Amino acid sequence: MMLGAFEDSELEPNEMQEVAFHLARCESCTGILADYSTLGRDLRSITAEPSLAGFSSAVIARVDRLPMPVFTRIARALRRQLDSVGAGLAWGGAAVAVAVVTIILMTPYAEHFANRAPQSTVLAKAEPNPAAATNPVVDAAANEPTMADNDSHADISRLESENRSVAVWSEPRRDTTVIWLPDQP
Amino acid sequence: MRTPGRQDGDEAELIERSRKGDSAAFGVLVERYQRRVVGVALAVVHNQDDAIELAQETFVRAYENLSKFESRSSFSTWLYRIAANLAIDFWRREGRHVVLRGEDAEIEISKLPTTTGDSFKEVSRSELSARLKQALEELTPEHRAVILLREVEGMSYDEISDVLQCPRGTVMSRLHYARTHLRTILKDVAGS
Repeated sequence: MMLGAFEDSELEPNEMQEVAFHLARCESCTGILADYSTLGRDLRSITAEPSLAGFSSAVIARVDRLPMPVFTRIARALRRQLDSVGAGLAWGGAAVAVAVVTIILMTPYAEHFANRAPQSTVLAKAEPNPAAATNPVVDAAANEPTMADNDSHADISRLESENRSVAVWSEPRRDTTVIWLPDQP
Repeated sequence: MRTPGRQDGDEAELIERSRKGDSAAFGVLVERYQRRVVGVALAVVHNQDDAIELAQETFVRAYENLSKFESRSSFSTWLYRIAANLAIDFWRREGRHVVLRGEDAEIEISKLPTTTGDSFKEVSRSELSARLKQALEELTPEHRAVILLREVEGMSYDEISDVLQCPRGTVMSRLHYARTHLRTILKDVAGS
C-alpha cells in the first residue's frame, strides 16, 4: 500500500524518505513501482475521451423542460411585480421632480401676478368712502368692510370726478401703505 | 487532465443566477465541468453511453437541488459526488457485479498472488490494452472508480475521498487492491 501512495506522492515527507531508502536496495519493489507507473499510463491511454458535442445543450434542454417549483414560481412573480413597481416609482419620481422644478421656476411670476391684483383692488377700494372725499387720508381698517361690497370701476370714476387730490391708503394688517396719485389734467 | 474546482466570485454568481432559474448561467457551469463529470461517471460504469447519460442526469439533479448546495464546499466536488452516487447506484441496479465492501475486499486482496520481479512492459500494446479493459470490467465499481479517478482524472486521495464519500484509508486500500489486481492480470498476460 505504501508503494502506491509513494507513486502518487500521497505520503508524509518522512514516509516518502523511508520508501525511497527501501527502493534503493529492493529490486522487487522497484519493479512493482515501475509496473504501477506503466499501469497508470496504460489506463490513461485506453480511456478514450468521450465526445461531448451537444452535451451542454442537451442538459439545458432538459433543465428548461423541468416543471418549475412552486417556490420558484412565486419568487419570479414577486420579482416581476417588484420590477414593475420600481418602474412606476421611477416615473412617479420623475413627475414629482418636474413638478417641483416647475413650481420653483414659476413661483416669482406667480407671486408677481398675485401681488398686483390685490393692490389694484385696494386702490380701487380706497376712495369710495364719502368721508374720503373731504379727507383723503383714510383709515383702511375702518373702510375695508364697507368697500368690499362696492364696484371698483364705479369707485374710481367717482373718485376721479369728485376729488383729484392725493389719496393715502394705510393698511396695518398687511403692513402696507399705498399712495395714490390721480392722473393730472 | 487536472482541472481543480473553482469557487471564485464568477462561479458564485453563476450559481446564484442558476438558483434563480437562469438556465444560461447554468449552461456555463455545465460547460466548465462536463468533461470531468463524465470522467467520474465513466470511472464507475466504464461505458461511454451510460456515462454521458449519467452525467446529464447529474447536472439535471444538481440544477434541481441548487438550493441545497452550501457555498462553503466546492461546487465541483458536490457535482462529482452526485455523479459518483448516480453511477454507483446505476451499476448496482444493473447487477452486473458483486460489490465487495470492507473486510470482503480485504480478503480478496489477500487471495491475490504476490507478484514480484519482471515488469510487463514488453507485452504487446494491443493485447495489453484489450486485457486491461477486460480487467477493469472485472473490478467492482468502487475499485474501478478509485483507480480511474486517480490515474485518469488525476484526483488526489482527499478529492477521491470527498467524491466517493469514504475515508482516505479506504481510498488507499481500494487503490492498492485495484493496482494489485490489474498488475496480476497483466503479469499473467505477459507470462502466457
